[in-house]
Amino acid sequence: MKLHVYIIRRALLLIPVLLGVMTITFLMVSAVPVGQRLESQFGVSKFGSGPNVLCSRFGLTSPNGSRFCPNPWYWNGIRSLGLNQPVPVQWARYMYNLLTGQWGYTSSHSLLPSVGIPGGIPVITVLSWYLPYTLELAVISLVMIWVLSFPIGYRAAVRRNQPFDQGARLLSFSGFALPTFLLAGGTLLGAVLLTGGFTHICGGVATPWDLWYGLPPDPTGYACPPYNGIQPSWIGQYGQTSPTHFPTVDALIHGQPLIALDTIRRLLLPAFAVAYGSVAGILRFVRNSMLEVLSLDYIKHARAIGVPERTVVSRHAGRNAFNVSLTVLGLTFAFFIAGFPVIELIFGLRGIGLLFTYSIRPPYDFGVIFGTTIVFTIIVVIANLIVDILYAYLDPRVRLG
Amino acid sequence: MADSSGATGTPTANGPSASRPSTRAQVDAPARRSSWRAQMEQARRTWYLLRQNTLAMVGLGLLLLLLVVAIGSFFYPGPSDSMTLYCGSYLSTATNCVKVCTYVAGQPSPGAGCYVVSSFEKSLVPPTFTLSPLSIGPLPLGSLATVPASGLFYNLATGLIKGAPWSLGISVTIVGSGALIGLLLGAIAGFHGGLLDEVIMRLTDIFLSIPGLLLVLVLLAVLSTALGNGLSFVGRVGVLVGAFVVTWWPVYTRVVRGQALVVREQKYVEAARAGGAPNRRILRKHIIPNVMYPVLVQLSLDVGTVPLLIGVIVFLGFPIWPSTPFPEWGTLSAIAVQNLETFVLDCATPGVACTFPWWQILFPGLTVFLFAISVNFFADGLRDALDPRLRR
Repeated sequence: MKLHVYIIRRALLLIPVLLGVMTITFLMVSAVPVGQRLESQFGVSKFGSGPNVLCSRFGLTSPNGSRFCPNPWYWNGIRSLGLNQPVPVQWARYMYNLLTGQWGYTSSHSLLPSVGIPGGIPVITVLSWYLPYTLELAVISLVMIWVLSFPIGYRAAVRRNQPFDQGARLLSFSGFALPTFLLAGGTLLGAVLLTGGFTHICGGVATPWDLWYGLPPDPTGYACPPYNGIQPSWIGQYGQTSPTHFPTVDALIHGQPLIALDTIRRLLLPAFAVAYGSVAGILRFVRNSMLEVLSLDYIKHARAIGVPERTVVSRHAGRNAFNVSLTVLGLTFAFFIAGFPVIELIFGLRGIGLLFTYSIRPPYDFGVIFGTTIVFTIIVVIANLIVDILYAYLDPRVRLG
Repeated sequence: MADSSGATGTPTANGPSASRPSTRAQVDAPARRSSWRAQMEQARRTWYLLRQNTLAMVGLGLLLLLLVVAIGSFFYPGPSDSMTLYCGSYLSTATNCVKVCTYVAGQPSPGAGCYVVSSFEKSLVPPTFTLSPLSIGPLPLGSLATVPASGLFYNLATGLIKGAPWSLGISVTIVGSGALIGLLLGAIAGFHGGLLDEVIMRLTDIFLSIPGLLLVLVLLAVLSTALGNGLSFVGRVGVLVGAFVVTWWPVYTRVVRGQALVVREQKYVEAARAGGAPNRRILRKHIIPNVMYPVLVQLSLDVGTVPLLIGVIVFLGFPIWPSTPFPEWGTLSAIAVQNLETFVLDCATPGVACTFPWWQILFPGLTVFLFAISVNFFADGLRDALDPRLRR
């Protein structure tokens, strides 16, 4: 099989998975009470409380002389939601809405205003504000995981059962066995204590976790992230346009490379926290596959013909162990992205994890909840696709066999 | 599905059917006893190998300790679904109360006066630590101890002890039911193959591509809205467990199916089929017992992560418990980190003393950590003992 045939075939497999995920969200949406569904679907909050209302209260005349009348707002709502139609029709309608980008509206009485979003805004617009920052965090975290897990895993395999290996084991166990918020909180607190400051040079305080970001003042003249603005990235706050909503890209478009660098610098600590939590499984796997590779005959041969040890480890063994470990990286992606809500809450990052966090607190904002879930799933699915393609590219046996 | 009546070839009404139970008993009884003996032998061998592994034994010891605490907690004074508060605060179950002063002489006081705590809680009341922008570390102890000035004070030790059965019980229930569903579905998928396999595995793929914690939270939000406020406490816990099980079964299904595909091709399965055993019997007697071991390992790896995940849910602000400081280990560590917010804000405000609540973070965090790590050590040892390739 040629590589591009493999890619097309693999990409086509995404369609049933995505349709299945949307079906699951459809089932969950169906369980939500009608009033909240109406609000998240149409962005309106007044639909009456239930199927029946007191006739005298609303000036209605009862059809059969009872005190209660059918609530016209409720029944109109049922009709406009299509709940009077058979379930397959409802499902098709839901799918159509999702595929055409009609993902509903933010709820007017949810907690989202504290993130800076009023009610009644299309969910997909809100997601387009918040998603890019999360993507940047994901990319930097991936790089961080890479930087941490592969060199440490290689060295741990080479120095098997020596202090370095034990240290690596301790690292991975502690990352595995501590909750994300403790890891992230510890990382942040450690950084704050190391830099030795609690003074906040920016004005208002959004979360105490933001204190870290007040220091040190930047040479660019831009000191504090905006706390109460609608836009998640800083750029709209300064009267500039935000064409892509990727803070780094926007800064580069505006010709501000220093601000772009600064944005990346601010993401390093959260990315380290993400990496610390998810490096555990990958590290063990890298070490084990490296050990397996190191015991193969071609390594012995390479050593026998006098290839320097460094080259043997990095080029001969490392390449092969890397191929195997790539799959694990793809599999753990779903786990590490599930940690994003916590990371973004602790570090005060305005990504969709934070959006999700606020939307699952009690006056639930179902439009945003399902929107973020679908987006997270799409990210995971695409990451898996990329990993599979990379794997097929690096290891021809996959696409041939 | 071919049944035993088809295999015997005499599906008549009374004669053979009356004699069949006795013949089956004659055929089955010795076989069952010998397989039981073989399993005992296998278990003894596993235990021997496990005993060689120091880390696994450390893990097992810690687990037993936690189990003892969980059983002992039922005899410990105090209610099991809420945490005992300090003496002199709201509720008090302690009888011996002593006076503890809240501030060190010469330091700005967070609140006036002294508090009353029970004498056996004294050691868990923090020594005086004051964190200022310039100096970090313990100051000399001026009085006995200090207690933060505002907020709800609960007894951490009572909470951790009372929380043991909750944490252990919920973890085992969630992972156990997930494993059970995964075991059945995975074995069926791997054994039957074909369309059934395809359907089950695609379903698994779909569930696995939604990030687990997100699915749990969404399900919790949907279920608690749909079921409303009329949910009892047991119902709430049931919803929590159910949401976790929905996200957890696909992991096991995938593991079991992979193993079942291997087992299906073994000679003994072929022999059983040649001997005319029906599918259901092959599944029950040959496939499921042989795919158990990877499930067991995966199960013991996963048990330790449940309190961590419950902690994350609490930390994100989802109300899963009726009372906020609920005695569950993950919950306690989440509350501790949430309390850091007050600490940082206090420290950022000039003139306000701030106490770093290290004891709130350390003790629940350590408990959760020890549980996860002991289970992990034990699972690692179990895997080494059960996998003949790794023995060498």
